[in-house]
Amino acid sequence: MTTLLLQQGPLAGSAPTNESKVEAERLREAWLAQEESVRSQSFWKETGRRFLANKVGVGAAAVVLLLVLAAIFAPLITSHDPLVGNPADRLLGVFSGGHILGTDEQGRDMFARIVYGGRLSLVAGFVPTLVAALIGTAIGVTAGMVGGLIGSGLMRAMDVLYAFPAILLAIAVGASLGPGLTNTVIAVTIVFIPPVARVAESATRRVVSREYIEAARLTGASRIRIARSQVLPNVLNDIIVYSSGLVGVAMITAASLSFLGLGSPPPAPEWGYMLNSMRGALYVEPLVAMIPGIFIFLASVAFNMASDALREAMDSRL
Amino acid sequence: MTVTTENPDVSTPKSRHPVLEILDVSKSFAVRDGFRTRSLSAVDHVSLSVDEGTTLGIVGESGCGKSTLARIIVGLHTASNGEIIFDGKQISTTGKRDRAAVEQMQMVFQDPSSALNPRATISESIAFPLRVQGVAADEIDRRVAKVMADVGLPSNYAGNYPHQLSGGQRQRVNIARALALQPKLIVLDEAVSALDKSIQAQVLNLLEDLQEEYGLTYVFISHDLNVIEYISDRIAVMYLGQVVESGAASDLYEHPLHPYTQLLFSSIPNLDPDESRRDDPEAVDAGEIPSPLNPPSGCRFRTRCSFAHDRCASEAPVQVEVSAGHAVACHLYPEGGARDLVEFLPGVSEQ
Repeated sequence: MTTLLLQQGPLAGSAPTNESKVEAERLREAWLAQEESVRSQSFWKETGRRFLANKVGVGAAAVVLLLVLAAIFAPLITSHDPLVGNPADRLLGVFSGGHILGTDEQGRDMFARIVYGGRLSLVAGFVPTLVAALIGTAIGVTAGMVGGLIGSGLMRAMDVLYAFPAILLAIAVGASLGPGLTNTVIAVTIVFIPPVARVAESATRRVVSREYIEAARLTGASRIRIARSQVLPNVLNDIIVYSSGLVGVAMITAASLSFLGLGSPPPAPEWGYMLNSMRGALYVEPLVAMIPGIFIFLASVAFNMASDALREAMDSRL
Repeated sequence: MTVTTENPDVSTPKSRHPVLEILDVSKSFAVRDGFRTRSLSAVDHVSLSVDEGTTLGIVGESGCGKSTLARIIVGLHTASNGEIIFDGKQISTTGKRDRAAVEQMQMVFQDPSSALNPRATISESIAFPLRVQGVAADEIDRRVAKVMADVGLPSNYAGNYPHQLSGGQRQRVNIARALALQPKLIVLDEAVSALDKSIQAQVLNLLEDLQEEYGLTYVFISHDLNVIEYISDRIAVMYLGQVVESGAASDLYEHPLHPYTQLLFSSIPNLDPDESRRDDPEAVDAGEIPSPLNPPSGCRFRTRCSFAHDRCASEAPVQVEVSAGHAVACHLYPEGGARDLVEFLPGVSEQ
């Protein structure tokens, strides 16, 4: 006895008869006439297109870009000296005496210190995050795809670094390398690589067990190709969520290092350092004292919103 | 129970040459059990062959090694022993295969959702194998369009993502992707098991039409006896990693020889209570399936077999060809002639 259903007549998708061959030809032509956007597009192009269509994301990215450009072109934007001030003019309020954002406790123009400080703080915030994201992803995805002894070995090495409290590790690296912005960046990058690698590795292991990876192996694609085109788009979501939260942490860590004399030494206008040194002025000129904090907040939130928009652009479901 | 196969003249193998020959393939996995490492015998000395343009159905319970065998054929797993000959040439079971062999053999997986990259449009998924092989861009477009039309997917679905499609449609995409490289052999691992019955029927009909149009050879793996019966020309029954019986589909259904095959077929629900085999003596199942970590000595089926006797515990049975194309591995059918089953019924036998 065969199941009755299987004895039904031709259903959709059965034998290509002559009519359906003509139909197939027509379908083929209709398909080739489709717009470029409907045909096979690479994941990255699609993502770019969707990101640019997201106004909030573009706005946030614009804010980040603005901060970066202000830092780069600081001499063109302000004529005040960020490092030397007139103590007689200390702690002026906002919009007073020719100082748009007031002055700090040593009479230095706040606006100038912020834009010049951007060169230090933005670098200290973004560069370690981006570099650690790149290196951590590379390590994590490799460990996840290769697996076995090498994969475990890599992750255990990451665990050794991860076991140290972040700030202590940064101090240790900073102390051994010496003061200065570059060394701060290196220290913070090293601190951030293990957690990113962990996130990348667990996401990769989850993706690699799915059948579309097996199907990709059947096409004869090299492992690198599979990593790039199949694994990476599915793993980036988790990594970006984690990494974008690191920008604020990076800035504060850099500030702590400056405070300890391991980062950019005073009078360098590093935002985190300024935030700390103006604590006393909070009762005298609260608005001016908060300004470095506002800018750290702005940079961090704008970066977060831009990366949220990027994640949304990568997700076809939204 | 009467059965009609689709093409009765295909069951004579003499007119076609074998496209795939599996020779004595075994596979065991090292499994950690607490502190020990034990050997799990997933596939044990399996030999099968598939003729061009036909369908070999492999049926068995969960855990009998059929999926592992499918992956060994296609190259996703390495084999511990044995050889595979594809299209007359031996291909590697342990290492990298050359590109031509890889292209000619494709697989359709069980779960339509996890078999597709959720971040890729379906035309991108179908085009990926072609991209890897370096096909020119406009040729890719042409072939993707053709293959989508072949499986009955409307062209405006090309830009859709898997989550926008139904299960049956996703499985069509998987089939389209398998067809993209124009393979000779397609291994289908439980390809319809995750679909509703009516969709199963549609997809099976589609597969048959494609086989006819392109001269494809299928190895169809399933635990669903009705599906296997419908689509197969020849069937192999597997139990705990071994092939216990193999033969033409109609032959097997009309004259199942191995006690396990009889047990399986008696479990198919029958609309006519008079025809039900459930209460036949052969259909008594004496227990649970043993663990592949520790399979029974001698014949692996003996713990569940109504006809088990002393020889079954000490000696593993060998495949014996009982009639043209129909082979069994059972001590009831030793070399040199079948025995009368009645002798082995409990209570009747004096051995």
